Amino acid sequence: MHRTDAPAIRLRDVTRTFPSADGTVRAVDGIDLTVGGGEVVALLGPNGAGKTTTLDMVLGLVAPSSGSVMVYGAPPREAVAAGRVSAVLQTGGLLRDLRVGETVELIASMYAAPAPVAQVMARAGLEGIAGRLVSRCSGGEQQRLRFALALLPDPDLLVLDEPTAGMDVTARRDFWATMHAEAEAGRTVVFATHYLEEADAFADRIVLVAGGRVVADGPTAQIRAHATGRVVHADLDPATAAATAARLRALPGVTQVDLDGSRVSVRAADSDAVALALLTGLGGRGLEVVTGSLEDAFVHLTEQQPVLEETR
Amino acid sequence: MSTAPTTSTATTAPTTVGARTGGLVNTTLLRLELRRVLRDRATIFFTTALPGFFYLIFGASQDYSDEPLGNGNVAMMIMVSMAAYGAVTATVSIGGAAALERMQGWGRQLGLTPLRDATYVVTKALVAVIVAAMPIALVFALGAVSGARADALAWVLSALVVLVGAAVFALYGLCFGLAFRSEAALSAASGSIVVLGFLGNIFVPLSGLLLDVARFTPLYGYVTLARHPVTEGLVVTGSDGTRTESIWIAVANVGGWTLLLAVLATLLVRRGRSRQ
Repeated sequence: MHRTDAPAIRLRDVTRTFPSADGTVRAVDGIDLTVGGGEVVALLGPNGAGKTTTLDMVLGLVAPSSGSVMVYGAPPREAVAAGRVSAVLQTGGLLRDLRVGETVELIASMYAAPAPVAQVMARAGLEGIAGRLVSRCSGGEQQRLRFALALLPDPDLLVLDEPTAGMDVTARRDFWATMHAEAEAGRTVVFATHYLEEADAFADRIVLVAGGRVVADGPTAQIRAHATGRVVHADLDPATAAATAARLRALPGVTQVDLDGSRVSVRAADSDAVALALLTGLGGRGLEVVTGSLEDAFVHLTEQQPVLEETR
Repeated sequence: MSTAPTTSTATTAPTTVGARTGGLVNTTLLRLELRRVLRDRATIFFTTALPGFFYLIFGASQDYSDEPLGNGNVAMMIMVSMAAYGAVTATVSIGGAAALERMQGWGRQLGLTPLRDATYVVTKALVAVIVAAMPIALVFALGAVSGARADALAWVLSALVVLVGAAVFALYGLCFGLAFRSEAALSAASGSIVVLGFLGNIFVPLSGLLLDVARFTPLYGYVTLARHPVTEGLVVTGSDGTRTESIWIAVANVGGWTLLLAVLATLLVRRGRSRQ
């Protein structure tokens, strides 16, 4: 393959703003991210978090407003021209009046040394529909075609932007099975998704993005650990609620304390210790302990972003 | 997160950037783009069959078709006019479709390949020229067998001016596609060519105030220049037979519209980029 001594992706303090009707929109607001060779990374976040813009900058389709973007130690356009990075894009990207086989042949003609068309068609499962017009293909078939196009340069880094959007359950499962094979062959895979299960099932590492920034970044197991902690809810004495909340924050293993009137929610790895403290010394009443889900962690981590914005 | 080594990034830069396929024309792209156009029966009908039909109706089958004009006859003038109409319809539709497909995600797909913009533009332009040559070939062939007459040189020069001039109107289609971003806009662009054809003195000889206005419309200069090798400056008017007109009026018209469309297309492309 190619030399892989530089990291696959290196973003340094990258921002991107877009002009809009009322001033400018900050789609990406200072992202630092390094992805090493062979990693499978999920860029997880709600719609509008800046995932697509970030990936567009990695692919050289959009220039950053500030900061630096390097792909295998080179500017993205060079990495694209050298066939080191390719992508499956979220929408569009196909000509409806070309046949499936023609589309693969066309994109192959743009590379100096593409992978054999027949081999790529086989890997993407397109042999049976080579003669079909793109306009007659289902959403899943079109996505497999986009995947075939991405395989043509035999890239080291494969970027997938919401790759399974619009696929049914079977197509989605098949797609990830194919992608597993590519990752095992040593390709670096970075994909954007807002499906938690997808990130959880497929990625080694999850980068949680919200409001154009990275709000959490770590091995999938670690991000999930955020969620396997429990949340303890309790009523506090209204007079001392704020002070009590501060004391709760200081307890070991507590990751988040929210106060809504006199009702407090405490997210902690050791919920028993929190419950004990609340009942014995802190005057907590109406105690409730709830197990968090990955969904909770996601909402929790992405929702605190606006709060951070205000306090900056 | 681990910190990546920050040294010697320049030395790891890929060195194969220059090693791109081919030169300014990608033959696979050319072949497949032509196949797409031929697949679109409606476009073939409107750009090639219809102008041929128009020539037979308005030219060959009319009583005045063999009346002398310049170094040829009226049928020859109408033949050149209809070929010009067909060629322009072809380039407008190709220019418009190119703008639209680039904005509908195909541009992003191409942006992920080493294909250079220059190769894309030159190849697309070649597609436009080849497709524009189809109505010219058909209408000129019909003219040759149905009584169009002129000097041999006039046949060659007229065909060349029709072909080259039609390329300008790819910009017209491009502007429509870039500005309105819909299939409907492309139909509107093609439809507007019919209106501009009347205003450009293509279908019916104009006279008086209408002819004075016509001189400023985009197709007038183009079709006047295309007819010039035959008419040698004669303009057929609706009311008082023929009169002569300086070639510079047509040249100024074509020059002005080319400049205007080129500037407009450039501005629209910039607007599109900033919105991405």
